Amino acid sequence: MKMVGEFFRNIFKNRMMLLMVLPGALWFLFFSYLPMLGTVIAFKEYRFDRDGFWASIVNSKWVGWQNFKFLFSTNDAFIITRNTLLYNIVFIFLGLVFSVLLAVILSEITNKRLSKIYQTGMFLPYFLSWVIVGYFTFSFLSSDRGLLNGLFNSLGIPPVQWYSESKYWPLILVLVYLWKAVGYNSVVYLASIMGIDRSLYEAAMIDGASKIQQIRAITLPLLKPIITIMTLLAIGKIFYADFGLFYQVPRNSGTLYGVTNVIDTYVYRGLKTTGEIGMSAAAGLYQSVVGFTLVMASNYIVRKYDKDNALF
Amino acid sequence: MSSKRKKFSLLLASLMALTLLVSACGGKNASNNAAGDGKGEKPVELIWYTIGTPQKDTDKVMEEVNKYTKEKINATVKMKQIDFGDYNQKMQVMAASGEPMDILFTSSWAFDYVQNARKGAFMELDDLLKTHGQGIVEALDPAFLEGSKVDGHNYAIPANKELPAQEVWRFNKELADKYNLDISSVRSMESLEPLLKTIKENEPGITPYAMVKDFVPLMPFDYIIEKLPMAVRIDTTDYKVINMLETQEAKDALKTVHEYYKAGYISPEVATTSSVDDLYKSGKWFMDRASTQPFAENLWSASYGYPVVSTPAGDPYIYNWSVMGSMQAISANSKYPEKAMEFLNLLNTDPVLRNMIDSGIEGVHYEKVGDNVMKNLDESKNYDMPTFSLGNLMITYLNEGDPENKWDEFKKFNESGINAPLLGFNFDSSKVTTELAAVQNVKEEYWSALMTGTVNPDEYLPKAIEKFKAAGIDKIIEEAQKQIDEWRASTGK
Amino acid sequence: MSQRKKKERDFHNLSTPMNITFNLIAGIFAILCVFPFLFVVIISLTDEGTLAKNGYRLIPEQWSLGAYRYVFEMGDTLLRSYGVTIFVTVVGTIISLLFMSFYAYAISRKSFRYRNFFSFFAFFTMLFNGGLVPTYIIVTQFMGLKDTIWALILPLAVNAFYIMILRTFYATSVPEAIIESGKIDGAGEFRIFIKLVPPLSLPGLATIGLFSTLGYWNDWFNALLYIDNPNLVPLQSMLMRIETSLQFILQNAQNSSLGLEAMRSIPQDTSRMAMVVLATLPIIFAYPFFQRYFIQGLTIGAVKE
Repeated sequence: MKMVGEFFRNIFKNRMMLLMVLPGALWFLFFSYLPMLGTVIAFKEYRFDRDGFWASIVNSKWVGWQNFKFLFSTNDAFIITRNTLLYNIVFIFLGLVFSVLLAVILSEITNKRLSKIYQTGMFLPYFLSWVIVGYFTFSFLSSDRGLLNGLFNSLGIPPVQWYSESKYWPLILVLVYLWKAVGYNSVVYLASIMGIDRSLYEAAMIDGASKIQQIRAITLPLLKPIITIMTLLAIGKIFYADFGLFYQVPRNSGTLYGVTNVIDTYVYRGLKTTGEIGMSAAAGLYQSVVGFTLVMASNYIVRKYDKDNALF
Repeated sequence: MSSKRKKFSLLLASLMALTLLVSACGGKNASNNAAGDGKGEKPVELIWYTIGTPQKDTDKVMEEVNKYTKEKINATVKMKQIDFGDYNQKMQVMAASGEPMDILFTSSWAFDYVQNARKGAFMELDDLLKTHGQGIVEALDPAFLEGSKVDGHNYAIPANKELPAQEVWRFNKELADKYNLDISSVRSMESLEPLLKTIKENEPGITPYAMVKDFVPLMPFDYIIEKLPMAVRIDTTDYKVINMLETQEAKDALKTVHEYYKAGYISPEVATTSSVDDLYKSGKWFMDRASTQPFAENLWSASYGYPVVSTPAGDPYIYNWSVMGSMQAISANSKYPEKAMEFLNLLNTDPVLRNMIDSGIEGVHYEKVGDNVMKNLDESKNYDMPTFSLGNLMITYLNEGDPENKWDEFKKFNESGINAPLLGFNFDSSKVTTELAAVQNVKEEYWSALMTGTVNPDEYLPKAIEKFKAAGIDKIIEEAQKQIDEWRASTGK
Repeated sequence: MSQRKKKERDFHNLSTPMNITFNLIAGIFAILCVFPFLFVVIISLTDEGTLAKNGYRLIPEQWSLGAYRYVFEMGDTLLRSYGVTIFVTVVGTIISLLFMSFYAYAISRKSFRYRNFFSFFAFFTMLFNGGLVPTYIIVTQFMGLKDTIWALILPLAVNAFYIMILRTFYATSVPEAIIESGKIDGAGEFRIFIKLVPPLSLPGLATIGLFSTLGYWNDWFNALLYIDNPNLVPLQSMLMRIETSLQFILQNAQNSSLGLEAMRSIPQDTSRMAMVVLATLPIIFAYPFFQRYFIQGLTIGAVKE
């Protein structure tokens, strides 16, 4: 009884805050948590029932882990997991380094007008869909009409069949990813830098600190919270791959699968004919659980060393 | 400050109210529909999802259509078009979630008919066809209803159109004439060599063979699943399921393509080329292969703006997928299955309705210039429907300039069709979904490169076969064999 | 104002070589980023026949406005799509900024007893989603949003990722001390939030505002799922429909032997590029509006004064 009373007292004490989270919490409830009930189809052989979705779920047969098997049953399982993980690790790491670097550079450029123009330019790739980025890379890499082979030709280097030589693709994919993502991501860091109290820099300058020293001693440490959180969030998505990047950009070329096949493309190709929603739900669940485990583990580590920057 | 705050809360409140209002409206609509159920006299509204780019004048035309159908069968239709690229995904979500609908488009290539029939998306139509669909049974070539049965039952009404699939070699006539090339002697892939060679040597800017990544050489097999190597021979008598990649025919065919590739008859980028439309537009191609239908040459020539001629590359076979090229099904959750069938019956037998849905309103979108001949008016650009997807083709009006015997030729073409061995057999993949997903991935990896001759089959064919084995193709073959044996036993094939 | 200017100059005492290096790095990267877009613009201005003959070229043999003429012939369809997109973007951004900044502010406050619970409540949704079909059912059957403009707004209104970023912005740039001092002055939590917080966290709010604006502007998937009415189709969705339909038809052209008929309805390459340009330009012009807040740098110091 006392506990109940205390509970209500706490609720009352936090009423303003609770009111503030209410709209968002309701949204999560409706748009995220309620649909999660549907995850059970990962363990079902889904069949339609004329009384709608929930009836279909109830009436479909339980199949246990059957729907997950296709993710692990062949040699491809290793390749797609490796590719997904390695690419994402590289993306997280290089993406972070370049975005922060770029944000620092942009914040330091004396001419604000130029800085703005640069930034607007860097933002453009974000607007182009992967299909169009695919066209564009093709205009570079096409073996007979491409710009690169044209250049090679005039330099006397033998042309390369880009779309059938897998050894170049890890580099190409990383470059294309960075090109598309860095400008966009640097906005977050730039905004953070701009939130830093200017008086800190002034004090440092009075002490005679060089620009590099200022960046190292003030900018980067103060960026740490946002860097930590962005990285933690990215780790949660480490088992998801950007479908367009790995499908459209290499033009779905079979000979490149060794280095371009990732979990998302594998699932897409595998389920194209059968369209089993149970199996795609299973793949999604697998990606979620791994991401969840990883992010909980890293959050635990962060929490141990730096409680303020942990996610929760 | 305080007035600002007031404004802000007013905004919030009105947003909330709006949301409520919107959701209330949605709710009301749903209950309205349900209320109509009880009364027999009130015309029934059928919801019809079909494939195609949404048209501006759809609602306008449907208004006219509804006047007609209300009188004829006391029903109205609400047609919703979903664009080609979205159709699969959207219908899958809608069917799975039990979205209210009555009639929907299905086929072997969009919202897969067999799979979804097995999953229970469609209503079984055997009895309805007898009670409310006699007209359909009479109007259609019987091979359509027979060939589109899944496990012995009909789940959709095929459109009456060309029945078999026949492949032809197509040639850019100007080039063929220029070098005096005799195309009538061509039949096999090998016999193309001298022609391709002439073009390659004399016309440097021309792609001799306009090939895309989906190309598969013509080989004598009937596939269990399209574009996967499990197959029976087209002339089979024992119905033995094989991996066709292991046959001599496949080896020879792939070798020929590879030689053509090496000789430069095919674009070096073919394994990743999904369209050669730019070649067609500019006329910078010499030949390719396509499936035909009566008067296809006229169609091609008109579309490209220069003459295209063709000669057969194979025999006209009736496959499952060619029968199921375009169908309309009744949704499993339809509240008015009888009305839906009555409507489909009318659509497939009544030229007035069929042409109204296809071409729009007479005098607005088209005008009649003969008994069954019409001419599109300017407004037709606001109502341009994919004719093949909307039921019986053979009662649509001819376009000005069409040969008078168009539909007779179609009927003749249909009669010339040879039944493929697996016609009427539909593989149930539910026991091997895991293997199928893996095999599908192997296929995507090797298929295009092998089939377009981009890689040397001596080296890559064994690799592919091995990977298919590792992915579990033998288990699929075994399962297919079992099902085929059962099917033969039950049908006496 | 003049004082501020001076301060800024002092603060940027970059050496000239360093300044040049920075400008070079940023400039070259910016050019690399702009180039493909320029290419798209060029293709959209290329004559269709020339394109078929020569392929993509930087300087086409023959320029043409044909693609734009074709696109503008769609007339009111295009205008209506612009209207839908703009409405959804503006209303959507306002709603999501409200929802998310409330939520993020609350969970950034140490005094909020349930902050950990609600942080997790939000974070968890980033990883686990129910999938397409259940979401579809909630939106269409529970809320009855199908074929309404709200189906384009509400599903994107809240994003756990942005809430987490925003929370960090609040936690780092809004010192507890300011809030405590506000409290002493007798301001309620809500008032503090409305009055004190926004100026302090402007760069953060602008970032998230920008992200949601882009999110709404670029969204096509919700329209694919929930919208049947052609009058409610946003711009990006129209563009995407054309792209996916083109790919679909190409894939099935041989299988169905119906490719020819379906192909008619697909616009040409140049027209598609023209649509990309038309769908992107307005949002690029909106960008500097957000940029103000994180380039000019509203410092905490300024507010303190």
